[in-house]
Amino acid sequence: MSEFGAFVAAAAARGDLVVQPRMGFGEPARMRAGLTAVRGSRAVAVGTITVDSYTRLGRETDAAAALADGRGLNGFPLTVHDRQTVQSVLLGVRGLDFPVQIRHGSAQPHRIFARMATLGLAATEGGPVSYCLPYGRYPLRRSLENWRAGCDVLAAAGVPAHLETFGGCLLGQMCPSSLLVAVSVLEGLFFRQRGITSVSFSYAQQTSRRQDELALRALRRLVAELVPPDTDWHIVLYTYMGLYPRTRTGALRLLEDSAELAVRSGAARLVVKSAAEAHRIPTIEENVEALEAAAAAARTTQRLPAGEDPDDEVFTQARTLVEGVLNLDADTGEALVRAFEHGWLDIPYCLHADNAGRARSFIDAAGWLRWADVGRMPIAPDGGGKVRMTARDLVAGLSFVRDRYDDPHPTTRTLRLANLAGGDLGGTMHETAEHDTAVRAHTAPVTPLEHITAEATGRVLRVQHALLAAVGAHLSGEGFTQVLMPVVGPVTDPGTRGSKQVDVDYYGHRYKLMTSAILYKQAVLKACGKIFTIAPNVRLEPMATVATHRHLAEFRQIDVEIAGASRADAMMIAEKLLTMAVRTLARTVPDELRALGRDPEELVASVTGPFERVPHARAVEDLRRLAYDQSDAAEIAWEAEELLSGKAEHPFFVIDYPKGSRGFYDRESAATPGVLESFDLIAPEGYGELASGGARECDYAAIVTRMRETGENPAKYQWYLEMARDGIPPSAGFGMGVERLTRYLCGRSAVWEATAFPKVPGAVMP
Amino acid sequence: MRPLRIAPQTRPDWRAGRLNIVIGALSSDAHTWNLVFLQLLLEELGHRVRNLGPCVPDEVVVQACREHPVDLLLVTSINGHGVQDGKSLIRAVRNRPELASVPVAIGGLLDTDGTGHRAELLDAGFDAVFEGGAGTGALTTYLGALCSRSA
Repeated sequence: MSEFGAFVAAAAARGDLVVQPRMGFGEPARMRAGLTAVRGSRAVAVGTITVDSYTRLGRETDAAAALADGRGLNGFPLTVHDRQTVQSVLLGVRGLDFPVQIRHGSAQPHRIFARMATLGLAATEGGPVSYCLPYGRYPLRRSLENWRAGCDVLAAAGVPAHLETFGGCLLGQMCPSSLLVAVSVLEGLFFRQRGITSVSFSYAQQTSRRQDELALRALRRLVAELVPPDTDWHIVLYTYMGLYPRTRTGALRLLEDSAELAVRSGAARLVVKSAAEAHRIPTIEENVEALEAAAAAARTTQRLPAGEDPDDEVFTQARTLVEGVLNLDADTGEALVRAFEHGWLDIPYCLHADNAGRARSFIDAAGWLRWADVGRMPIAPDGGGKVRMTARDLVAGLSFVRDRYDDPHPTTRTLRLANLAGGDLGGTMHETAEHDTAVRAHTAPVTPLEHITAEATGRVLRVQHALLAAVGAHLSGEGFTQVLMPVVGPVTDPGTRGSKQVDVDYYGHRYKLMTSAILYKQAVLKACGKIFTIAPNVRLEPMATVATHRHLAEFRQIDVEIAGASRADAMMIAEKLLTMAVRTLARTVPDELRALGRDPEELVASVTGPFERVPHARAVEDLRRLAYDQSDAAEIAWEAEELLSGKAEHPFFVIDYPKGSRGFYDRESAATPGVLESFDLIAPEGYGELASGGARECDYAAIVTRMRETGENPAKYQWYLEMARDGIPPSAGFGMGVERLTRYLCGRSAVWEATAFPKVPGAVMP
Repeated sequence: MRPLRIAPQTRPDWRAGRLNIVIGALSSDAHTWNLVFLQLLLEELGHRVRNLGPCVPDEVVVQACREHPVDLLLVTSINGHGVQDGKSLIRAVRNRPELASVPVAIGGLLDTDGTGHRAELLDAGFDAVFEGGAGTGALTTYLGALCSRSA
């Protein structure tokens, strides 16, 4: 066993987490002082010598020149200092009780490994993929050849070597866990195949503790299944490698959380970050402080009890990726290179020429890293549809962890995500605090003032005005009466998707703000047979829906209801309304549309009917083919709707929802019991649902029965049931979301951009 | 039918002055997130971007600027070696007569001591320096000036 592996194994057997800095200084004396301080820290620590950028790239001449000029280097130039100098750094510091690892980041590691061999240094890290693709422009195949040669150098050295994969980090952030686990496993298998028998498998802390726990468990399971039994191995966790919290408390808390994650998940070693991470290359003292803080947090944490290992999604995805690659070639290194050539492995946002560059990721509402696009990788997209990443979305994703730890106050987090004050990506021109209004946040509005003064806002509002004028003119021309509807009432649409109603104290009675106008729409048909209204709705949607980009807590609907109409009639009216509105806008506000990035002619062509009618059962089949687990008994989930929408070029209807999936007022089909005569109108291009409607139940007894079936207390609906007992005409109709329609027509990436004073779910806004 | 194009959010008045921008990280700088971000940002502002990626050797930058018309070369470094790498690059660029007047800007965390080297870099031949905590505002202002100049 390697010295390094034996040290870690002994610590693990005692229940100690081994901690390690990322430390490297150009000058030998400072490097030695650093190692000495780490050795003396109150922690079970191993030492690190991190190599500088020039040496990493094989530019020893530049490193030497920088040293000679006293310009300073960002690491220790292991191959530039002569052997004696390096020995003087290590002498009396390194030992069996204090192994030292070389960290280098090089795709040409053999020079460094050869120098290590002359010094008796045998522990290092990296990998043919992880030290190539995320960094320079070095060809992957040559990196593989170099790493083969490098492994041979290490394996041939007199001292048993230890190699750690860097594959569990890759770009440091925005990579879904399954790919990190897969690359880490594959690089470790490559090392093992090249004769390295002591290997550690890395994983870098990401955005969700739960996802990280599953990832570490998946990593452990896959390694246990795949490495030969005579391998000495352990898991090493990296404290978060992305944009680091700037506050001292936030930085230390993130570090402590990583130490706890390591212990809970059975990682034997932790490579830490210091509280100064966001600000500068940390000093020796800051490194020691981090080691001691991590060790203290580890001491008070227990490992999670070993239980059964269900095949969760992280494990399943990681195993699919690993197996797919291993099947490409008996030589794991060759298989890795071929996998990248095929795009079977594809690192999101990696600019390297040998990376397919098709995969895209995002952070979902629960804080998990998800695939927006898996490219050609043999796994199912789990992100649910198209997510367009803008510069600000990217910064929001990159600063997700920083923001959460710098400002843990959950009520302000939604807005902070948008504010992004200080997301500087390590320096200049990346900062968005004083961003130009041309580059707007797409996750949530910045501030009400910034939103209302943005140029795009005025354009969107002018398009919306033209839209409402066109809708009014069209429906009036078709013989509809515009009726103004109540804002508060004793009861409102019970809704079905987990939104909460707002109570109002109404002269001592508990009234509701309207979640929809449906009850009044039906009742008013006793006065006018064809009505429409622009009705305000308030639904306290769950905070998670902020991620859908198409929910607002307060919005308006174009509500249409027609006495004596069938569902087919209502769909025809909705289709005509949309087609006509788009044609009118292309005539009345073409310049505004163009300025917003929409081509009016293409929009007109896109919404020319007839729209397809897709039965719910077929939509469910389509979704399952897309590997989306959609229930056949429920309304299509919003993310699934977006998935279907993203695949469509024209609007389409989903019809025939199963009974139980919607409110009591949707009429059950007489011909097909169990199926509702309902429909949703879905926009193309990923914009999702625009309208929802159907034929209504109007028979008193049937309404009461359906209320009971849907868990509603009929007594609450006294006024409505009185109307029904007197006779409500059979009808059909729909409600079309004004902001959603505006968003789609204006090509906005989020619905809040389609209103002057948006109320984003969970955010307290004017 | 063609899928609809969704244009990036753009200030229309800038579209007229759209720039061809080459971006890349200096020769020893391996950071890429800032490049991904910069590309998205510049494209949203309506400019055309060629992203040379991280650790671009000086000769690759020079070659890229000679291949196609370039309105701005924007190089970044956040690894602390930006001053020395930047001076090497600007020498290579300015040595080419055809690139003597092409606007070249540099930004990032350019040194390890945070002392500031703005004047030094301007003297060396850069047209603009965005150091340390400068926001995107300074960059967009500079782009605006370039647009009106080229319009």
